[in-house]
Amino acid sequence: MAPNDKEITYSYPHMEMKLAEVYIPMQVYGETFDLHTALRYGTLFPDLYRPYVRRPLM
Amino acid sequence: MYKPEMVKLLREIQAVDFAIYELALFLNTHPNDRKALEDHNTLVTRSRQLKAQYEDRFGPLRLDSISKYPYQYINDPWPWEIEY
Repeated sequence: MAPNDKEITYSYPHMEMKLAEVYIPMQVYGETFDLHTALRYGTLFPDLYRPYVRRPLM
Repeated sequence: MYKPEMVKLLREIQAVDFAIYELALFLNTHPNDRKALEDHNTLVTRSRQLKAQYEDRFGPLRLDSISKYPYQYINDPWPWEIEY
């Protein structure tokens, strides 16, 4: 480290919380959309097709 | 002016190329998935056939396409002039 570099230390805020951990299952190759449907939906894989839907008005 | 068969072929090429892209992304993380690779390769063959077919009938699609004289790439329609 160059002499003028300040050492930066990070610390966690003092809270009773844990760090996030993520688990992502591996995708399995299965059904695929028909090619024109895939182009319209923006994915080839039904497993990944999760369109946003408009919330009903309150 | 462009013809309906031309638009149909372009749409087909777009759909096939999109699927190739999707399979390529899948294969990045699953290089040993034989079925996905077979499907990918089948679509690549199909994409090449479709593009050859398109270029035979309607002229060059890309800058690295062979053109007859005079240079055909500049012919109408431009991509933004086509209604899909």
